[in-house]
Order: sequence, then C-alpha cells, then structure tokens
Amino acid sequence: MAAETAVTSGWIEDFRRASDEDAELQAHGRYYSCAYLLDMEEHSYLVQMHAGKVEEILEDPGPLDDRYQFIIRASAETWRGFGQETPPPMHHGIFAAAFRTDLSLEGDLLVLMQNLRCVVRQIELLRQTGVPV
Amino acid sequence: MAKFSPVTGRYVTFEVMGDELKVFFLENGSGQPLVCQHTAGCHNHQWRDLLEDEEITQNYRVIAYDLVRHGKSDPPKNKEWWKEEYRLTADYYVAFITAFCDALELEDPIFMGSSFGGQVALQLALRHPDRFAAVIPVEAADYSPGFFLDWWQHPHANAAQVCASGVWDLMAPQSPDQDRWATWFYYTQGSEAFRGDLYFYSVDHDLRGRLGEIDAEKCPVVIMNAEYDYLTTPEEGRQTAEQIPGAEFIEMKGIGHFPMSENYPVFKQHLQQALQKIESKLGARTG
Repeated sequence: MAAETAVTSGWIEDFRRASDEDAELQAHGRYYSCAYLLDMEEHSYLVQMHAGKVEEILEDPGPLDDRYQFIIRASAETWRGFGQETPPPMHHGIFAAAFRTDLSLEGDLLVLMQNLRCVVRQIELLRQTGVPV
Repeated sequence: MAKFSPVTGRYVTFEVMGDELKVFFLENGSGQPLVCQHTAGCHNHQWRDLLEDEEITQNYRVIAYDLVRHGKSDPPKNKEWWKEEYRLTADYYVAFITAFCDALELEDPIFMGSSFGGQVALQLALRHPDRFAAVIPVEAADYSPGFFLDWWQHPHANAAQVCASGVWDLMAPQSPDQDRWATWFYYTQGSEAFRGDLYFYSVDHDLRGRLGEIDAEKCPVVIMNAEYDYLTTPEEGRQTAEQIPGAEFIEMKGIGHFPMSENYPVFKQHLQQALQKIESKLGARTG
C-alpha cells in the first residue's frame, strides 16, 4: 500500500499546483471559496478552496474530519475517463457524466451552481494531472 | 486595414399569435434559402462562420434570425411580458418560424436548427411539410427530458455563469478554445430566455410514437447528432431517424451539441453531406 500512498500524495500536490497556477482559476476565482468531496470509489478527497486557491486537500477523510457542501461521486473507472488528456464522450464534464454515467452530484447543489465556472474548470485540470485511482 | 463582412443585418416586423414582433436576422448569399435557428438561450452568432462561408453562400441564401426574446429580437412589443413566466410552446415556435419565412417571402426554404432548433425542425416536418423544401435537425431526438431546470435563472446563483458553464460540457474537448469560449460567452447573455426555451425542449416537444407521421419523402429530413452531445446522443438521433420513413442520419465524430459554433470546419463537412443528400432527393423529384 505504500506505493499507492506515494502515488496519491503526489497527485494531491500536482492537483494543488495545477489549480493554484491555472490562469483561468486565478483570473476568475476571487470568490471561489467552498469545500467539496471528490469520491472516486477507491479513494476520496476533500478539496477545500479559499478565494480561488487550494487551502487543503484531505485524502480519505474520516467520517467527522471536516465538512463539505457537495459531493461529486463516481466509480474509479468513470474518473479514469476524466483523467485522460482527451476524455472519451460522457467523461468530459460533470454534467455530461451525471446524465450518462454513474457520476452523481449530491449535497447542496446551490453551492455547486454558485461556483460552477470554477468547479468545471478545476475538474478539467484532471486531464493534466491524471486521477489517483 | 478595415475589412467589411458580406453579412448584413436587418429587422423585420410581423405578428405571431397576437404578438407584435420586431425580429433581427443576419444574411448572406444567394440561391435556395437556408434558414438557421440558434440553440436555446442563445442567438444567431452561433452561425457566424456559416454566414461567411463563400462556398456555401454561393449556392444558398443563408439566413440566421434571433428568435423573439433572444439577441436583438426584443420580447413582444404589445404585451406586458414581464408579468408572465416565459414558457415556449411547440405551437408558438412553429408559428414563429412559418411567419418569419412568410414575412421574407421565402420560397422552398431549407430549415436547419440545432438542439431546440433541431427539435422544432422535426415539428416543422410533421406540421408543415409543404412549406419547407427540407429540414436538417441537428442534435435532435423525438424527446429530450431533463433540462427544464430552475437553476438556469436561480436568484441565488450567477445565472449567466450557470447557463454558460452548465452547457460547457455539451461541447467536445477537441473543439478549439476560441470557438468554445465564444459559445460560452453567448450563453452568458441569455439566461432569462434559456429556461423558458427549455420548456419546449424538455417538456412540450414530445414526438414519441408520432415520428411515423412525418413524411420524409415529401419533406426530406437529415438528422445529424454529435459524439460528445450528452442530451441527444448519436444513438438517439439514429433511432429517431429510423422511425421516420425516408429520413437519413449522419453521425458527427469529435464534436458536440453546438457544432456550427464550437467547430465549424468539422460541422461543415457534415453539412455539405446533408445538403448533397437533400439536393439529390429534390433533384430526383423534379428530374
């Protein structure tokens, strides 16, 4: 399991860097402050954003570790599609996947909608970083 | 050095079901009219590249209008429209398009529309096969539920961004950034119309069990759906075409739900194929 942890902790740093250095997120993310859970079946990640920057990413958080407003949940296989440089159809965005794959959007969807532009962009960064599952 | 486009814009006034409308349209070219409908919550700039395409406009008079309440076509001038919830119906939409074609005295127009424009193309083939030479429903199906949502104009979220980023992944990742972002930009402008348009798209448009009533021999139908469209997939477009006697289907690879706007060069190849199919059908009829 040590190798797996190394891979996933590397991903956390990659995803943080990709987000914090992304021109679009930094140009438009001034009010992007929320927390969401990326549930990838084999692992989950609690992404905490503050003013467009990654504040913290918790890997496999315990049940009471911290709070979040919404969840993007899908099988590892679906997320692997998101992690391809050119994702296959229906793995190219959270709405597409919510309509056509096992991906579900759960929790307070109003917070998702209030931050939709930035969330959509941040999820696209998985095409650069790959996914840790 | 300044450069002028050959595309010109005009307004035309006419009446639809008691509504006084002043409608804006762009046009270029000469020949058989090719009347183009934009997608829900959008406007005629989605057809910007087709309008300037010298090859197509040599043989076709390309006309792209703004549906009432979209772009430069204001809401009805004789109505207190702000006191009602906007919900587009199939009856009104069909009446608008036929009234527009009548106002311009168009003879044998080909009608092409994408998304909710594709759905109304099917409605036109069903209801007015004599008024149109042919229809090209793009991103169409007999039924497309699930998009008549309050999120598009929810007062607690930024409606402009919800509409624009909500339709973002209807486009293919391969489409050029410039064109996808232009399409995104258009979508920030139409949130007040988008939800009401989708009443037609996801509720009032329902041709399940009725496709067999469309006669594609009388009014040729060429349906084109794209690989990255999650609302009306190529499979659903194909199934729709199979239920219409005489209809044809073209699958568009590597492109999404706004093909004419997100990646015109790819769309054009398929459009030319569709126009050839229509020409050969119409030619066989007269020949």
